[in-house]
Amino acid sequence: MLRYTVKRLLQLSVALLGLSLLLFAWFKALPGGPENQLLPENATDQQREALRAALGLDEPIWVQYADFLGRAVRLDFGSSLSSGRPVATELADRLPATIELSLAAMLIAVGLGIPLGYLAAKRRGTWLDFTAVSGSLLGTCIPIFFLAAMLKVVFAQELGWLPTTFRLSAGADYTDVTGLRVLDGLITGEFDIAWDAVKHLILPAIALSSIPLAVIVRITRASVLDVVGEDYVRTADAKGLKPSVIRGRHVMRNAMLPIATIIGLLLGSLFAGAVLTESVFSFGGIGSFVYQATTERDYPALMGFILVIAVFYVVINLLVDLSYGLLDPRVRVRS
Amino acid sequence: MRTSPTPVRRALAAAAGAALAVGLFTACGSDGDTGGDADTAEDFDFSCPERTDELTEDLIDTEANESQPFVFGTPGDPTSLDPILASDGETFRVNRQVFDTLLDADCTDTVPGLAESFEQNPEGTEWTFHLREGVTFHDGTALDGAAVCKNFDRWANFKGGFQSPNFTYYYSAVFGGFAENDPAMGIETESIFEGCTADGLDVTISISQYTSSFPGAFTLESLSIISPASIDAVADVTIPAADSPLPEYTQTVGTLAGTGPYMLEDWNHSEQEVTLTRFDDYWGEPAKVKTLIFKTISDETARRQALEAGDIHGYDLAAPADAQALLDAGFQVPIRGVFNLLYLAYTQSHAPLENHAVREALSYAIDRQRIVDSVLPAGGMVATQFIPPSLEGYSEDVPTYDYDTEKAKDMLAEAGAEDLTLTFCYPTDVTRPYMPAPKDIFDIIASDLEAAGVTVEARPITWVEYIPTTRSGECPLYLLGWTGDFADPYNFLGTWFAAPSTEWGFDNQEVFDSIAAANTEPDAEARVDLWKTANEAVMAELPGLPISSSPPSIAFAPNVYPPDVSPLTREDFSQVSFTTGS
Repeated sequence: MLRYTVKRLLQLSVALLGLSLLLFAWFKALPGGPENQLLPENATDQQREALRAALGLDEPIWVQYADFLGRAVRLDFGSSLSSGRPVATELADRLPATIELSLAAMLIAVGLGIPLGYLAAKRRGTWLDFTAVSGSLLGTCIPIFFLAAMLKVVFAQELGWLPTTFRLSAGADYTDVTGLRVLDGLITGEFDIAWDAVKHLILPAIALSSIPLAVIVRITRASVLDVVGEDYVRTADAKGLKPSVIRGRHVMRNAMLPIATIIGLLLGSLFAGAVLTESVFSFGGIGSFVYQATTERDYPALMGFILVIAVFYVVINLLVDLSYGLLDPRVRVRS
Repeated sequence: MRTSPTPVRRALAAAAGAALAVGLFTACGSDGDTGGDADTAEDFDFSCPERTDELTEDLIDTEANESQPFVFGTPGDPTSLDPILASDGETFRVNRQVFDTLLDADCTDTVPGLAESFEQNPEGTEWTFHLREGVTFHDGTALDGAAVCKNFDRWANFKGGFQSPNFTYYYSAVFGGFAENDPAMGIETESIFEGCTADGLDVTISISQYTSSFPGAFTLESLSIISPASIDAVADVTIPAADSPLPEYTQTVGTLAGTGPYMLEDWNHSEQEVTLTRFDDYWGEPAKVKTLIFKTISDETARRQALEAGDIHGYDLAAPADAQALLDAGFQVPIRGVFNLLYLAYTQSHAPLENHAVREALSYAIDRQRIVDSVLPAGGMVATQFIPPSLEGYSEDVPTYDYDTEKAKDMLAEAGAEDLTLTFCYPTDVTRPYMPAPKDIFDIIASDLEAAGVTVEARPITWVEYIPTTRSGECPLYLLGWTGDFADPYNFLGTWFAAPSTEWGFDNQEVFDSIAAANTEPDAEARVDLWKTANEAVMAELPGLPISSSPPSIAFAPNVYPPDVSPLTREDFSQVSFTTGS
């Protein structure tokens, strides 16, 4: 297991190096440069050239890449050109919002998706199955930004049940521990803050959960249908085992392998969905920051953020792979 | 509403300019300068509509002002709490409440700030300011001439990355450079700042060469005055390179003290929230609302929804299309004066645009009023020249091009350009205060040109690519504009037409000379005439078609008394109050 983990981590380093080279080449190939965003439109060509020179953007691309790499291995991604703050600081400020939102969305998706998928499979052909399947189809079809906007208009604007924007009400006095506002409120006993954060989290989390929920329902249904037809399930049933034992030990445990894989992949894709959701709800996470950095050609911010997201993605998938051993003893034996 | 007929306004502007030259400030401003009624919209000068509402004592909701924060939604985060290191409007908006400048702007007029009055020598190379008495910084020290000089000396002696244009763009734009230019920062022009001397509350700033940036540049937020103790506290701070992070003191409150109506209380980066609290010893009228919060909501629709839901009490850059719906729902959308310019450029390196008759024909083909009426916010107006009407030197005698498709067709035929095909560039992913919907504006102009027989080939370009592409002269036709920093025609005309450039592709020495003459004329009265001449020379050349000047929209909740809105977006939030009864 340790050897496997080390091997995967080494693969990760090679993947990150390749990714950084690709990203760097791609960003530099994009037309336009950050000086056009950093300076007013009536800045002279001489002022623009001065800034390009000062930022080292007139150096050959391999010199710029070597400089970037030299700093990146020390976890120094430089500073954002638009905010003037270290990229690491921006990450520390922004990432918790996206993590909190993604976790909340995944909680909804997993908490609803697996039971719904299981029920749809168990009651195949009934109205429940039909509703779950068509509902999940709808979930994958509706664009996130549209759903987010609709939820906001109905529940925040028209009904006024929930806030329209932000992670907390403006001016809320809270204690920062982990950066996850709900958790921080619970840890510090500031339950009003935790409740305020939950209210701000509900709509964006629902919007962001729509696609993973739909996917998890479908995968769970298909996976459970596969498993319930297996001989060992029929045998367990014939042995007179209790339905709860058959469900937990024989059906769900075997059905969980593809579900765990898809959850890992979905967690990564949630970051992409977060760009749109955070923008609609002004949630202040990395999604909106990456979008802004892209339009402004803020190279250091983009490189830093994308590499960190890549690390997250790979690490999550590594954890998913490792969890196979827990779910299925056969994987453990083979490894 | 300010409804002064144009000629009266011109006369007042000229008189104010003359008065400024001898250091007397007129009582101009948003509540003065009424010039009588005008009959039609064309007679009005929209530079600064006068507000009709008044905040009486019984309207002020004192309890709300003391207990409730006023939350204003901004399109972006500020970047630096040190004003000299900022060049963007969102940072200016926050810092303006905390720091003061030597001079201020009311509407577009230069008015007293920390200086009650000033005078210049005839050459325009010495500017003496007489500071107010009794002004104290937030750290308790008193303002005097020495404190002002300490600021100017600090800026002039910046080293290393402090000199980079992404940090100190406005300082180097106004003063040319620094005492010792760092070769790594790319600035090659010499500084015109010669020194600052103080005598009690009098302070004299010397420059080696007059430019028309003065005295307007003394209103720039970047040149705000911070306390001497603040300067001492950051004296050892360095910025090694242009891509170094901004120093920590610019990102956290507690180091810099200003003299403004609000003090910095907190900057919460993760919540994108800046909190200010009232400064009770402010030299002017104290702020009405105790706590002011600027909160970033980058999405335009999200800002409107947050206002409608009551999550915020006001926001800036409302979409023009939202204005009427907000008004109908009881919200307030006060109209700012105009201080920007949108133009269509004719790049003369592309034949047959070097032909004056062709440029004239294209200008007749475009219905600019339709753009103003259908795309721009209320208060927008068709432009006749390359500066907004509120600036000195606006000329009534420039050639104008009223919409006339038939005339355009005839002129194109006469010029032998009936089968004209032109590439027309516009930006795709941006809205600018002078250009709220680039694609809509493009569509109107393109359809007008097509109606005159011109084949238009659209070339949409992303914003970061747009400036270098248009600068290089690649686009025969393109849309661009500018919002002025302060009252100075050179801020518009100079950056476009002071010398030959690929973006315009013409070489007309008369135009260049006329701008240089106005820019270097220290006498205010003489300068007004020279700018008029320059405007007339530019419009005779017709390098492009000025399309419009339009005010960016700002919106407020019904239960709020908004600040006086400013064409320079210099709103003073100390004027804001919650109100009773709505």
